[in-house]
Amino acid sequence: MKGRRASPAGAIAAAFAILAAAAVFAVLVGSVPLSFEALRRGDPVARAILSLRLPRVALAAGTGAALAIAGAALQALLKNPLADPFLLGTSGGAAAGAAVAVYFGASALASPAGAFAGAAAATAAVLLLSLRSGRLDLQRLLLAGVTANAFFSAVILLLFSSSAGGRSRSMLFWMMGSLAEARPSEAAALGLYLAVGGGLLLATAPSLNLFLVGEESAASLGVAVDRTKALVFAAAALLAAAATSFVGIVGFVGLIAPHLARLAWGNDQRRLLPCSAAAGGALVVLADALSRLLFSPAEIPIGAVTALVGVPFFLLALRRVS
Amino acid sequence: MTAGLAVAGLRAGYGRETALDGVDFEAGAGRLVALAGENGSGKSTLLKAIAGVVPRSTGEIRLGGESIREWPRRKRARAVAYAAQSVDLIFPISVRDLVLQGRAPWRSGFLWESGEDREIAEEAMRACDVLDLAERDATRLSGGERRRAFLARLLAQRAAVWLLDEPTADLDPRHRLEFLEVLREAHARARPIVLWATHDVNEALAIADDLLLLRRGRLVAAGPVDGALAPEALERTFSIGAAVERDAAGRPRVTFFRPSS
Repeated sequence: MKGRRASPAGAIAAAFAILAAAAVFAVLVGSVPLSFEALRRGDPVARAILSLRLPRVALAAGTGAALAIAGAALQALLKNPLADPFLLGTSGGAAAGAAVAVYFGASALASPAGAFAGAAAATAAVLLLSLRSGRLDLQRLLLAGVTANAFFSAVILLLFSSSAGGRSRSMLFWMMGSLAEARPSEAAALGLYLAVGGGLLLATAPSLNLFLVGEESAASLGVAVDRTKALVFAAAALLAAAATSFVGIVGFVGLIAPHLARLAWGNDQRRLLPCSAAAGGALVVLADALSRLLFSPAEIPIGAVTALVGVPFFLLALRRVS
Repeated sequence: MTAGLAVAGLRAGYGRETALDGVDFEAGAGRLVALAGENGSGKSTLLKAIAGVVPRSTGEIRLGGESIREWPRRKRARAVAYAAQSVDLIFPISVRDLVLQGRAPWRSGFLWESGEDREIAEEAMRACDVLDLAERDATRLSGGERRRAFLARLLAQRAAVWLLDEPTADLDPRHRLEFLEVLREAHARARPIVLWATHDVNEALAIADDLLLLRRGRLVAAGPVDGALAPEALERTFSIGAAVERDAAGRPRVTFFRPSS
């Protein structure tokens, strides 16, 4: 453990300063660059661009924060560095649930309910499938996650192939994630879900620290193990559901961001959870900027960018585990 | 709180399987009690049941006359400390942070560790000879160092009862002796009730005050080690021939042999 006795407040402030810098950068860059100068002049074009990019950047930050804090909490709870809402099939379940809700006519703002049902069902199914004599088995967990993702992709595919055109959201939106249609109302709604889910997870942080050694050890130190597990799974499903219903599946953020935050600020969950949220927010904000810049003026789906970064990261983490 | 631990009619299991089938014993204040038996005899389950981490258990567990089953979790954790057999760690954690976990039952909610918590953790690390390793990553320690770090965490819990599940099973002779020395000294200082599971009877006889022999979830024999240690009880416990000798100091030693039928 390298010397990381930085004060908790200092670490959290540093992480959020990085997020703020990333957000400013992402607002300024794009197919049409924006300058402080033009904004100060009150240039109408600059202001129009700002009103398009601000909700987009906010939604990106919220998505990254929600997925990353959920990933960090799941990693501690399951004592498994590969836990992540995407790899566990939670995001896939959420996307399928939201797609079903939209298919049957729910509005975009109501789709989180469908997403939450899907995410909860996916979490329960994957966890049940990965139990071996009462214990979670790492190989089974990954296999169950992959299987669940394949299943949910098929559900989405089926829904959109059988539906007439004119649906507000495309198949590609759910499966690869997109921030192109970001609206202020969505960013605000996601912020609300993030406050609830993230708050619940933060409250469990002291207990999650004890889970790092093991469930029995946590129980012997006075942690209400079953209640904590139920709470973390529910909050993680809620966060993944909210992020997925507004942005679609954005993979690997819940894996990468907690690892980066852990490297920078250590593994005390009381500090790691907020720092992961900030790191995840910054990651998706930057990935979104990249998706707009790379083939400008065309855009790459945000999920494709995070997957390109995430897969090598996953392989590295997998090597360290096994 | 220094009074004895009394267990009566303790049954416990996992799912449909019964691992403990009615165990009764008493451990007096300050006694170091070794718990010996074959693998699967119920040693671990007995410790887990007392620690309150086994899925289901029935029967009485009293400490100083009070039934600890009715106690709130954290109060129980302040009185009973448990060191699991596995010391597997996946994520890096400094020895200091690991030892500070022992203070969790004494701290409320989200609060950071107090200065007193830090002092108690330092004292525990010193007692277990891991103070020099305080900032080291516990995942990178040797087996013996890691066992001592976990013992320090248990000491930091300042509990009246220490439950240790085969803490020396994976250690080589030198580290095993070092660990037992540290345990004996810590016990002499704090005088807790120690229940310590081992399958090495001679290790138990070397430092324990009392010996409990378990077989298939039931107690075969219980009593002070320097009292009558019947070869028959050992033979029943381990399903193998046993002979008891005494060394110059009067400590018993057991030799196991295959009966020549």
